[in-house]
Amino acid sequence: MKREQKRKLQSVVALTLSMLAALFGIFWLVFILGSVLVHGARALNASFFLNDPTPPGVTGGGMRNAFVGQLLITLFATIMGVPVGILGGTFLAEYARGKRLSHYVSMLADIMVTVPTIVVGTFIYAIMVKPLGHFSGWAGAVALAVIMIPVVLRTTENMLTLVPWTLREAAFALGAPYYKVIIQVVYRGAITGIFTGVLLSIARVAGETAPLLFTSFNNSFFSGNMNGPIASLTVTIFQYAMGPYDDWHQQAWAAALVITFAILLVTIVGRMVIKLRYGKK
Amino acid sequence: MNLDMQIKGLNFYYGGRHMALQNINLDIYKNTVTALIGPSGCGKTTLLRCFNRMHDLYPGNKYEGEIIFQNRNILSKETDLIDLRSRIGMVFQKPTPFPMTIFDNVAYGLRLRGIRKKSVLSEKVELALKQSAIWDEVKDKLHQSAYALSGGQQQRLVIARALAVEPEALLFDEPTSALDPISTAKIEELIDGLKENVTIIIVTHNLQQAARISEWTGFLMLGELVEFDRTEKIFTVPKEKLTEDYVTGRFG
Repeated sequence: MKREQKRKLQSVVALTLSMLAALFGIFWLVFILGSVLVHGARALNASFFLNDPTPPGVTGGGMRNAFVGQLLITLFATIMGVPVGILGGTFLAEYARGKRLSHYVSMLADIMVTVPTIVVGTFIYAIMVKPLGHFSGWAGAVALAVIMIPVVLRTTENMLTLVPWTLREAAFALGAPYYKVIIQVVYRGAITGIFTGVLLSIARVAGETAPLLFTSFNNSFFSGNMNGPIASLTVTIFQYAMGPYDDWHQQAWAAALVITFAILLVTIVGRMVIKLRYGKK
Repeated sequence: MNLDMQIKGLNFYYGGRHMALQNINLDIYKNTVTALIGPSGCGKTTLLRCFNRMHDLYPGNKYEGEIIFQNRNILSKETDLIDLRSRIGMVFQKPTPFPMTIFDNVAYGLRLRGIRKKSVLSEKVELALKQSAIWDEVKDKLHQSAYALSGGQQQRLVIARALAVEPEALLFDEPTSALDPISTAKIEELIDGLKENVTIIIVTHNLQQAARISEWTGFLMLGELVEFDRTEKIFTVPKEKLTEDYVTGRFG
């Protein structure tokens, strides 16, 4: 009887502690999302999306330049990073399967994922910005692509490894050459997983500030020129939040709201795709 | 009886060192079912996978000797593996439908061979599905995922996929070991009907299955072919003591 009571007590204590820990985490998450929502919603209006910034002190204006810059940088980062990541992951999972090279590259990619992104920023600064003599959107896109590659590469590798080997043998047994086996059978089996990995990697880099500070820098004017400094939401938030003006703070909140919910949306879509595909089975 | 395949002095090494098959001599006759039996690890699947050179997928594997098929040694370096594998199909232990529709699964081998015309594809897909006794079950859902089918249906679908390219021989690697008795019976019935058009070599753990469906049986042990003869002889009056011990269940 006594032992049973002791066990019950232990169970209650453990349950309470884990619930408190969960509540603690959720509290801050809701607090952050809530305050971003409350503060950000106040400054959200059409002008915020359609106009460029006004000179300091002059009220009004928006962040059209930062939206366009952010989109351009993320788009080109995706165009550069995703194919390299997918092809690299394919090489590791298929052609170099079981080889030592594959093991080392995977390990390096895992290390790359955990490298602080500011290190990537300074690295691109050293190899692109410094030699060319100016900040540029391209440098920003390359920095984000470098951050994306290991994420996409590892997801692709894992997803391809999950496709049963016998499926490949069955395709070989029909006389298919390896590249067709990969493209027609293996990719098909892994497509949702790879797609989700791509979405998550986009969500990840879209929220990066540090690598852009050293590469694409910022631009108070509208610019679609990837060869020069270009604005981005994250760097603009950083600049505005640090600035002395009240309407800057307001706009920084609004930008934070937009970017947070855009990333949230991409992540949710990514997870929903997984669920739709794998949840049913 | 016509000879379809002649195996002469076949040795096989995994990874260049380990000898998995030793001096196999065996004749396979056209339009018959040949069963390969033996205890686990005896080399029966290894032997089966020599016939479509599946071992070439992995580095270091080595063949010696000859497998004569259509007057050519398929073990020679000049053999076009893509061509060989379209003449000799294979069905695996676990059903291996591709992640695509039922139609696309069966059409896969045809498309590999460059057949693009819709009418030809549909005709051949239908024929293959009928030959595999699954047409009635799938004719209304040809464009649904093959994963929606049951295990037994998937296995018959995979047989249809192999048949669609009109191979001369089909290799079965324990095709029913992952299936329930009813599905197994269907596959066995199917194999019996198929031999009109193709030569069949089947690896099986199940001695009753070998006795039921094959005309010829080869008994392997430790990488050697102990005995090869007509199935009824192997199961009633085997020449070798080892064979008798195995088929009567004294070991294995």
